[in-house]
Amino acid sequence: MPSLSARSLSKQGDEGLAIDWSDGHHSVHTWQHLRTNCPCAGCREERQQPPDPFRILKPSELSPLKPVRLEPVGHYGYKIVWSDGHDSGIFTLEHLRELCECPSCQGKQKREPPTA
Amino acid sequence: MPPPQEPQKIVLPGVKHVVAVASGKGGVGKSTVATNLALALQMHGRKVGLLDADIYGPSIPIMMGINEVFDPNTTAFPLERYGLKLMSMGFWVKPESAMIWRGPMVHKYLTVFLTQIPWGELDYLVIDLPPGTGDAQLTLTQTAPLSGAVIVTMPQEVSLIDARKGLEMFNQVRVPVLGIVENMSYFVGEDGKRYEIFRHGGGGRKLAEQAGVPFLGDIPIDPRVAESGDLGDPIVHKHPDSPVAKTYLELATAVSREIAAAGVPAPLPGLQL
Repeated sequence: MPSLSARSLSKQGDEGLAIDWSDGHHSVHTWQHLRTNCPCAGCREERQQPPDPFRILKPSELSPLKPVRLEPVGHYGYKIVWSDGHDSGIFTLEHLRELCECPSCQGKQKREPPTA
Repeated sequence: MPPPQEPQKIVLPGVKHVVAVASGKGGVGKSTVATNLALALQMHGRKVGLLDADIYGPSIPIMMGINEVFDPNTTAFPLERYGLKLMSMGFWVKPESAMIWRGPMVHKYLTVFLTQIPWGELDYLVIDLPPGTGDAQLTLTQTAPLSGAVIVTMPQEVSLIDARKGLEMFNQVRVPVLGIVENMSYFVGEDGKRYEIFRHGGGGRKLAEQAGVPFLGDIPIDPRVAESGDLGDPIVHKHPDSPVAKTYLELATAVSREIAAAGVPAPLPGLQL
């Protein structure tokens, strides 16, 4: 079983989330980055499509998007309920760690060659 | 001062340990193992419940000799038989009725079984999972505070392949695998000798070694297991002195030991937004 676990979570103002991990790392995440990387099947599919320049915004997309609730899922992840009602993405702990935006992790991601 | 943290949703507050009995492959005897393991735990003096999570093909009603359908509006669930508390979709629908449901309905009814059935105070709630790594498994790992999972396999490679998938699933969702049981492993003849009927026996033990999880035991094949199950009186209850029943009692000891060693997994920290 994976040994890395989340020790505590905290809000970073209105903009983001911070997680303290069992290995001592302090990860930071903006809500926008998390939503952009939502792992649900619908969002994954959407990310693979070319952008639609004629897409009409829904009324719920006109107001700034923010998280409403963060719910633990089992022992392995978190579900974020967003202000537009979207709630189907489960962020596993491993995925959250990969999405860390701290300078150290960002630098590491840039140095590593992309996987095929 | 850190912001207040929202505790994880807790279901089954009176249940000390929730144990899933799973396998990747169908037909390896999960329901038989789950039923007899639950009875063996109860014979060790524990309070035990048995939840049949196989919504499409419930087996527990037949194995426990409850062959009637009950009106949920007038019947108090869970039912009780041989000292076990029981819940199954088979208590609500006729055996000949096919449950043609998509995943969300499976999720809905399993969640009802877990959160709205008054299980009361139990030492163990054993959950008999359907085969595979699908909706029922996901609902369970997301909703129930699982202490761990017991993986059932048979000696053949075709069964072991799917057992590996089950192991991997529980690893991914961070549920401790308590160990592997090899069912229908060998045959004990009337001469008292052990016959390795599948020749390549020991696959369960090898799989446990590869995965770094305990091997909980191997259970012999015995025609009386099927007969007792079909008669609604599981072998551990009907023939408690049989070699198979003794193996189940040892399995119950091993499972209790591994649960104690694993401890109760800590819930994930929450955050109030």
